[in-house]
Amino acid sequence: MPPPSDTSAPRLAAGCRWGGTEQDRVILYPEGAIKLQGTGRQVLECCDGTRTFGEIIQELQKEFGKTDPEKIRADISIFLEQLQRRRIVDY
Amino acid sequence: MSSNPLALIAEITHRCPLHCVYCSNPMQLAPTASELSTGEWKDVLEQCGKLGMLHAHFTGGEPLARTDLAELVSAARAAGLYTNLITSGIGLNEPRLETLVAAGLDHIQISFQDSHDVSANWIAGAKAHAHKIELARTIGRHRIAFTVNLVVHRQNLDYLDEMIAFIEQLNPDRIEIAHTQYYGWALANRAALMPTLAQVERAVGIVAAAEKRLVGRIRIDSVVPDYYAKFPKACMGGWGRKLLLINPSGKVLPCHAAEVLPGLSFENVRENSLHWIWHESPSFRRFRGEDWMPDPCRSCERRSEDFGGCRCQAFLLAGDSMATDPACSLAPAHDLVQAVVGAADSQVSAPASAAGSFVQLQKLNQDLWIYRTSPE
Repeated sequence: MPPPSDTSAPRLAAGCRWGGTEQDRVILYPEGAIKLQGTGRQVLECCDGTRTFGEIIQELQKEFGKTDPEKIRADISIFLEQLQRRRIVDY
Repeated sequence: MSSNPLALIAEITHRCPLHCVYCSNPMQLAPTASELSTGEWKDVLEQCGKLGMLHAHFTGGEPLARTDLAELVSAARAAGLYTNLITSGIGLNEPRLETLVAAGLDHIQISFQDSHDVSANWIAGAKAHAHKIELARTIGRHRIAFTVNLVVHRQNLDYLDEMIAFIEQLNPDRIEIAHTQYYGWALANRAALMPTLAQVERAVGIVAAAEKRLVGRIRIDSVVPDYYAKFPKACMGGWGRKLLLINPSGKVLPCHAAEVLPGLSFENVRENSLHWIWHESPSFRRFRGEDWMPDPCRSCERRSEDFGGCRCQAFLLAGDSMATDPACSLAPAHDLVQAVVGAADSQVSAPASAAGSFVQLQKLNQDLWIYRTSPE
């Protein structure tokens, strides 16, 4: 699978969902759980299957205005691709 | 105080319509009359939620043999747990699957014994293969995580590439390729199931190639054959560290096989709270941490990675539950494992399947193994 395209709408894969508490939010999936904090959590909270990858990137580039927008795009793209390989995210 | 457990393995019944020769259930199966009631399980699941546990794995035996399964799944979800059903698929049709999904089932894992109908049924000791294929296609129509589990051993490893190709077209999200773990019935059948070194080495290459080919489509997880490994497995992630198992009668165990260990008695959820059993009971504290460790474990760099290996294997093979797991190449009793592996290399495999039915194949190989029975 290639990295997400701008028009794809990333979402949690079947059988993967949010759990834990508000302070300790985790993604639950068949073999375990990932604790998510900070930017990782923010990115995945955007992946609701309605917003496109392009929109998510724009939103976060705006929010992290000081960081190089291309670096933001590259980091998020790799993050989602890794989770896709683990069948935790679909796009 | 010890940290909280992460997951519950709920062996809700030992009843099973299959008779798989590699079954790791204890040979002393829990009688049907002793099973926890629906209410008792619901109470246990609520306690698991309060302990901060994250996953409930419903297994058995065949968990579908309990008619209250959907109610238990729903109780687990209500307690905040992720729900996983580990099943042969026998007893499941589309309406029942829909009921389970509606109750909150997150993930279903179905076992396959082989890619060929006759040999798959021969290993399972039951006519089950065709139904599993049908069911896998049904699951594809529902939004639920789907894993196919494939237990591999001497009798099917030569066909591993065929088995992976067969499973691939069932479109699971994940394939778990698990070498047989030698406990319970599998240990009794070890001579027939232990793969040869050549088989194990060939399988490594096949799995690596499949992982590469299927990346992004199907995730492959492997369970390594510990008799062939250099170091032992971190059994259950360490004794009383992450997981607890409750057997059909309510006994709380640190792992599937712990009841074989002499001198230990295990608590029951009918008599004590899960919180007390996990944190305080002598059985869960027995091998927690490092104080109990023998040499060479106690000074080994890997002691915080593999925790000395498996206590049950130490007892079953070396006759001493305190010993270093004989699967470890550094263990004083490692020669016991080497002898088993060496014997596997010199044995002739069972005759290849030329039979027209699994019953015929069973007759041709009558003394090869024993089949798992059902509890009273």
